[in-house]
Amino acid sequence: MDRKKILSFIIILMFGLLVFGLANLNLWQGKKFRKLSDSNCIRLIAQSGCRGNILDRSGQIIADNRISYDLMVLPQSSDEMERIFSGVSRILKLAVKDLKVEFKKNFVSVSLPVVLARNIELSKVVLLGEYKAEEPSIIIQAQPLRHYPYGALASHVLGYVNEIDRWRLTKLEDYGYKTKDIVGFGGVEEKYDYYLRQEEGGVSVEVNHRGKFTRVLGFESPQNGKDVELTLDLNIQKIADENLSGRKGCIVVMDPRNGQILALANYPNFNPAVFVNKRPALISGLFNNPDSPLINRAISSSYPPASIFKLVLASAALELKKVNTLTSFLCPGWTMIGARKFSCWDVHGAQNIQQAIAHSCDVFFYKTGLLIGAQNIHDYAWKLGLGRNLGFDLPYETSGFIPSPLWRKINKFQNWFDGDTANLSIGQGDCLVTPLQVAAMMSVFANRGFLPVPYIIKAVGGVDLTAKKTKLIPLNFKKNTLDIVCQGLRAVVSDSQGTGNALASLTVTVAGKTGTAQVSRGTTHAWFAGFFPYDKPQYVICVFLENGGPGHAASIIAKQVIETMFTQGLI
Amino acid sequence: MRSTFFRILIIAVFIAALGLASIYSSTYQKEGPWQDLFGRQLIWLVIGLICFIFFCGFNYRRLWDFNYLIYGAALLTLFLVFILGITRLGAQRWLKFAGFNFQPSEFAKLAIIIFLARYFSRKSVNDTSLLSRKFGIFQGLILPFICVAVPMFLIIEQPDLGSGIMLLLVFIFLLYLTDVRLKYIWMLLGLLILPVPFFWHFLRDYQQQRLLVFLNPNIDPLGAGYTIIQSRIAIGSGGFWGRGWLSGSQSQLYFLPESHTDFIFATYSEQWGFFGSCLLILLYFFIVRQGYLIAQRTQDTFGRLLALGISLLLALQVFINIAMNMGLAPVVGLPLPLMSYGGSSVIVTFIALGILVSIDRNRNVF
Repeated sequence: MDRKKILSFIIILMFGLLVFGLANLNLWQGKKFRKLSDSNCIRLIAQSGCRGNILDRSGQIIADNRISYDLMVLPQSSDEMERIFSGVSRILKLAVKDLKVEFKKNFVSVSLPVVLARNIELSKVVLLGEYKAEEPSIIIQAQPLRHYPYGALASHVLGYVNEIDRWRLTKLEDYGYKTKDIVGFGGVEEKYDYYLRQEEGGVSVEVNHRGKFTRVLGFESPQNGKDVELTLDLNIQKIADENLSGRKGCIVVMDPRNGQILALANYPNFNPAVFVNKRPALISGLFNNPDSPLINRAISSSYPPASIFKLVLASAALELKKVNTLTSFLCPGWTMIGARKFSCWDVHGAQNIQQAIAHSCDVFFYKTGLLIGAQNIHDYAWKLGLGRNLGFDLPYETSGFIPSPLWRKINKFQNWFDGDTANLSIGQGDCLVTPLQVAAMMSVFANRGFLPVPYIIKAVGGVDLTAKKTKLIPLNFKKNTLDIVCQGLRAVVSDSQGTGNALASLTVTVAGKTGTAQVSRGTTHAWFAGFFPYDKPQYVICVFLENGGPGHAASIIAKQVIETMFTQGLI
Repeated sequence: MRSTFFRILIIAVFIAALGLASIYSSTYQKEGPWQDLFGRQLIWLVIGLICFIFFCGFNYRRLWDFNYLIYGAALLTLFLVFILGITRLGAQRWLKFAGFNFQPSEFAKLAIIIFLARYFSRKSVNDTSLLSRKFGIFQGLILPFICVAVPMFLIIEQPDLGSGIMLLLVFIFLLYLTDVRLKYIWMLLGLLILPVPFFWHFLRDYQQQRLLVFLNPNIDPLGAGYTIIQSRIAIGSGGFWGRGWLSGSQSQLYFLPESHTDFIFATYSEQWGFFGSCLLILLYFFIVRQGYLIAQRTQDTFGRLLALGISLLLALQVFINIAMNMGLAPVVGLPLPLMSYGGSSVIVTFIALGILVSIDRNRNVF
């Protein structure tokens, strides 16, 4: 009977083993298996909300969304897929082979729906909707896509949207960004991406072992992004864009009273829609274009200011009492500084400060510059907003650069000579500024002594931000200084010999300053910066043409812009 | 005596009811022929209960007399399956009989236990001592092995490896329980284990795969390993209290194949969790224990061996099936007695239980 006891022992052992195995699966590994069980049968179908719209100051849409219909499918067993492919290819008139290629390309895992076709026409969407009744595993998803009703208009202000890149992802991961997210690149789209960004919602559905849809488990509605309202005036922006078209450069129109950017046009520009529609040829064309159409020239690149810089000298000289209205220098067309001959672009004869501004006499400012001293010039340029970041609310603002003797000593181990001062006096040499800085500087004269901090965002998600923006910075210039410089600026246009005389014929009274920047290679850059109407300035305009010839060319563009603005009743 | 009858009846009906609930839960959402499985199983259970009551009243000693008839019938039906059986799921296991599909291998298990019990309980004419004590190697090992090997071969060829192995295990255990010398058993085990590498080539492809997959289910997660992975997920996801009746996603969304037959334990366990599964295993243990106690009470050698054989048959089937559900044993087609859907299994199990009660009832008759 010993054998029976052993047998009963074996049986008890067997049942004990079963309980042990059960405890192992249920209790110790239970969580893991529960998760596996859920991932077996639950599929999430993401549904994205709309990215926030970008509006102009009056609420007109500059960038919004249009609905595109995508066809997705829940991965299933191969014979089921075969049937779906043939059904879909019949409706979409696409080859089954292409659909299979697309499926393979977009396949991530069994648990995620796969995109078969994008951007389907509405008529076919209706047909697919009928097909869905017999094949519930296909998903027709309305996908909001960025839409730009005006094409390339203000493209540099807007930026573009694209799939997130690795660099941005590593930075933004902690803020809930994921791979394949669509994020903004450049402009408002990038800087305000966090607000514009929609929140994803979705449906969770249950599927069976073949991936076939069985029922909907839950739905979380997607959240739309917040609208961003800009200070741009769509009408002025259109005028600026139209008039610049074909000329490499940029136009900035600003309200000198508060620093709001009313128009910011760049050329060459780009149509952000190519990134939405994923046109690889066009996109690589944009990146490879030697004219760099993606660069926002108004803020992201800096140029020698040339004669525009003379306003810095004029105000510095008057403030420091180095010159007054009675001071005049004789311009014979050249002057000697040290052993070097510095020439003027013309022979002006005796010039006082207002005449010198009007005629843009170099000799006058060489001599004034030497009176003021390089360090003072640098300090006043800095005061007027040149050579430093203004804190503009678009990304990739460059600071430009104003040289000074101290900088030269520290960084280049070189001495500063009078010749350098003379060069700086006419805005050449190492001196670099951005068109936006020039517009800000011009505002100081337009609003009589206040440096505005330019901004372009008016409201985010309906919350007005204008009150929160930095107020105008008082420069505490003497009224006399400002009056004299402004008269000079007016004379630029009104004087028959003035460099900006082209604008004299306008009904609107304009004051401004031209500039012709010499570059090491190629044609000169053309500048025009001004404000109007003279008596009660509402607008500051800065036109910059890269390799655009003499300043006159820029003043012609400015004239066209102002003229069109006037005829459209904007002034 | 009466109490044994009621104890076994109550436990068996309880297990069968749990089985019915699991079959219902795994089929109620599926369309087509799935719907009537529940009803059919109910019919099988009723027939099984009638058989149970009939065999309770039937004197088991009559089985001694019918022994050769039963064995012959088992062999014959197995041969018939071989010739005219219905092929389903790649295996030829079923005989169509009066509109019902009948699985002779289930019946053969019981027949062979009866046969072996009788063989080893023959007594000497002279001094009424057990013949099995004096068996030499031929009578004690070779002859009974041939008698088992023929039906076993037929069953394995169907192919039904699970039932075949079942027979072999029952044979070895019964051999151990009779007074056959231990060295014969060791010889048999040696003879069986040594040529295993050689037998490997005789296994069907899918059987080879299943064995490989048993060692590592992840080598073929969507093919041969699929069932075992899904079944482990089903059991594991139950947690302590289970997901509740009718809320097991694994079994109801078709992830688990054979969720109402061989893998019904996974279906059950997903819904009732650790608690319910332990309860089920305990119920099976009680039933096996009843068989064991009956065997201990019985003076008659034939009755004792029969009772032990039946208990063993139940215990081994339960163990192999549940272990296979949990991935602790290779996947072989073996139903869980009383739980799994299938008429033959249900009826044969009830008959076996009936015989147990009958043994207990008649043990002192002579």
